[in-house]
Amino acid sequence: MRIKLTLNSKQQELDLNGNETLLEVIRDHLKLTGTKSSCDEAECGSCTVIINGRSALSCITMACDCDGASVETIEGLSSGDELHPIQQAFLDKGAVQCGFCTPGMIMSSKALLDNNPKPSHEEIKRSLDGNLCRCACYQKIFEAVDTAAKKMA
Amino acid sequence: MEDNRNINIFLNPVGKNVPRIDGRGLVTGQTKFTYDINLPNMLYGKMIRSPHPHAIIKNIDTSKAEKLTGVKAIVTAADTHKIKFGSNEFFFPHTVDQMPFESEKVRYIGDEIGAVAAINEETAVEAVKLIDVEYEILPAVFDAQEAMKPSAPSIHSHVRNNIGLILPVNFGNCERALRESDYVREDIFYSQSAVHACMEPHVCIGQWEEFSKKITLWISHQAPFKVREALAKCLKMELNNIRVIKMASGGGFGGKLEMLPMDFAACLLSKKASGLPVKMCYTREEEFSFSRRKHNMIYKLKSGVKKDGTLMAVTGEVIADGGAYCSYGPTVLAAATMRIFMVYNIKNLKISGYRVYTNTPISGAIRGFGGVQSGFSIESHMDMLADGIEMDPIEFRLKNITGPNMVTTNKMIISSNGLRECIEKVTEASGWKKKYRKQSNLCRGIGIGIAADVMGSKMYKSHESAGSIIKIEEDGSVYLFTGAADTGQGSNTVLSQIAAHELGVDFNRIKCTSADTEITPFDTGSFASRVTFISGNATLNAAKDAKKQILEIVADEHKLDAEILDIQAEEVINKDSGSVVMSFSKALELCYSFNYGKQIIGRGSYNPKTTPIDFRTGEGNVSGSYGFEAQVAEVEVNKDTGEISVLKLWDAHDIGKAINPQSVEGQIEGSLIMGLGYTFFEDLKMQNGKVMNSNFTNYKVPRSVNIPKMESIFIETKDPQGPYGAKGMGEAALLPTAAAIANAVFDAVGIRLKELPFTPDKVIKALKEQELNDI
Repeated sequence: MRIKLTLNSKQQELDLNGNETLLEVIRDHLKLTGTKSSCDEAECGSCTVIINGRSALSCITMACDCDGASVETIEGLSSGDELHPIQQAFLDKGAVQCGFCTPGMIMSSKALLDNNPKPSHEEIKRSLDGNLCRCACYQKIFEAVDTAAKKMA
Repeated sequence: MEDNRNINIFLNPVGKNVPRIDGRGLVTGQTKFTYDINLPNMLYGKMIRSPHPHAIIKNIDTSKAEKLTGVKAIVTAADTHKIKFGSNEFFFPHTVDQMPFESEKVRYIGDEIGAVAAINEETAVEAVKLIDVEYEILPAVFDAQEAMKPSAPSIHSHVRNNIGLILPVNFGNCERALRESDYVREDIFYSQSAVHACMEPHVCIGQWEEFSKKITLWISHQAPFKVREALAKCLKMELNNIRVIKMASGGGFGGKLEMLPMDFAACLLSKKASGLPVKMCYTREEEFSFSRRKHNMIYKLKSGVKKDGTLMAVTGEVIADGGAYCSYGPTVLAAATMRIFMVYNIKNLKISGYRVYTNTPISGAIRGFGGVQSGFSIESHMDMLADGIEMDPIEFRLKNITGPNMVTTNKMIISSNGLRECIEKVTEASGWKKKYRKQSNLCRGIGIGIAADVMGSKMYKSHESAGSIIKIEEDGSVYLFTGAADTGQGSNTVLSQIAAHELGVDFNRIKCTSADTEITPFDTGSFASRVTFISGNATLNAAKDAKKQILEIVADEHKLDAEILDIQAEEVINKDSGSVVMSFSKALELCYSFNYGKQIIGRGSYNPKTTPIDFRTGEGNVSGSYGFEAQVAEVEVNKDTGEISVLKLWDAHDIGKAINPQSVEGQIEGSLIMGLGYTFFEDLKMQNGKVMNSNFTNYKVPRSVNIPKMESIFIETKDPQGPYGAKGMGEAALLPTAAAIANAVFDAVGIRLKELPFTPDKVIKALKEQELNDI
């Protein structure tokens, strides 16, 4: 089957068997390896992308369901040398340790700030509940999201 | 001018929050982790595993799998030299007990028998199912205390009663000291098993090169040089025919510190498939079930104190459930039994440690190295001793702790020691005096735990050296080559800060290449909180060497004495006159000029001054320096539900000197939260040897909503041996967290929790027992 989707503002046409997850399409077909896979069963948030403005777990999203959708991945955030304010804040605030959860964490943060530009501390905490960070960099991540929100305001 | 320099975090970067050197790649998703690499014609490998916890292998038939379309190679023990690998070869050679693939017997559910490589993962999984292994099932044993009984099934024929190792520690005269004590008490503590659960599961890619008979292994790992050594030994190859390249690594925490059979498999499969690269990736389920786990421990203690609080003697027994093979068990057990000497100035100590084989997944190294289990047990026990003589737990600790410039009873040489200051500062910050014993009406309490840690421990070699090379080219680019493996803790950044600071150049000049066995100098690996201290010193020495070479040329050109020159803030200066001689860039142009043509290549090596530990007694100086910390937890207990809420954690840490304060804070906070997870919910459940909770739904790790308020306090004691005074600190903050919380729960509601994790049902049970006792 053939589907069309917008990936990081670019039109893509994909030939699918129909049983591929969005994660497989992004990583294996389109070779965008920024989106990570860690549990493959919707428990850890490493594979978070944004679909039509909402954060989504690409490991349990069927690619064929994304026909006509707009999908954003970590690769779509920065333009040229300029980092997105969330990426810059993660860097400045020390919110990155091993960095494996970082793309998913940043995409969840972006979905939050796109929908709620001035989140409270509690709202930040709750909206990142689905993203695991085993280095447990959480406190610095909260600070980074807060800093980015203020910068983007 | 000076002020401007001070706000530039990239000049004189030591002590400043320089962003991660690899940060841009990580926040943009551009950094390649091992599983992000796709080589042409790459195959995918899967392990062949035992479904039984204990069985004799009668026959392995791979013929059906070989016929499956897409299968390219199958390897079993027949393709190996049947040479065993292990983790503590140097001190405990008899504990080297695991084969790349077993051929005679399997000892846990998941024990590796071989591996398959196919054109894709699905085919490899399918092929594994087609392999017929005939077993003779043996009786199995899953509990360490059961396994120690003479009637238990024997798991390894070379040991008696399944005891892989006994570590006796015996100093002073404990019997007499206990008799002379005013108060003696006995306690038993139970610590559960847990797992590393790195966000990046184990992964590697092996490639055999037929024409050169060489292997390259790309891997996520903490100790690539150890991987090289184990591969060379078991595959009977020369070290220089094996190249191990550590890729960006998504966490280690001790779980990526040794070989797994999959690493051998990737190399052997590639060789058998005529050099096609083979990728092996663990699934999350495999990660939980077949990597390594924390030793569950039983810690029995009997100790005595004088009325004035003097700790007279500590005696006891530690039983550690080791699972099927020894792994890092010996050093974990050593750390669990001997760590107390760094913390308490104690003359009489007698603890026997037993590491016991069971038919369960293999216990190994995990952040804290036995110190989490012992930290919980000893720090709870100390609180109870203080309570028994009605002494304030802070006062009790201050009376008994180690201090600076001392030699401990077991001959550890402690130079800098900020433990007293840690306790004082953490007590002050937490408002201890206003809270302790004063909030039980609110079911609130406050508790303390203290700890110490090594920075390095010789584990697999007689030395513990690290090396660094710094080459500086004519355009002033500085290339740092270090053997240290950055698995996410930020060592590439910290080592680059040290290099830039010592060279007197902007941090942005540094390019760091690390942990490639063919390119970088040797380094034993990232463990025992050793990298900042040991690899940091090697880097400092390399930078000094490179700087000296530059200054000698500048001195020659200007007819000056090189001794009076230095490089500071990108300029070569005359220290005597304070004047600028030339810029750093010009100095490098001079070095590479027509007249000189001198390449600047600095080299540094560092091996801490230690004495080997005599493991028959526990005597020796294992580390070049020691780190300390004190932690306070404030909790509120819900007596109806049994839930414990942590209101805040304070951690004062003697880190020597914070090279990168933000990273130090990240390590402390990460440790505290990992400690919190272990205290409340992390619990690897096994039933008849099978892991029952092999996913994040059933094995809980801390999430954003679990994070309490935390405060880190740095105590900078400027260690005389540390680079810029810095010490290692990646683990210590995890050690006393469970005890600090347990002690806070006692302060809140008067119950003593001696079995981890502190689930609500245990709290309710303890509260009910307390009610019955009060009647």
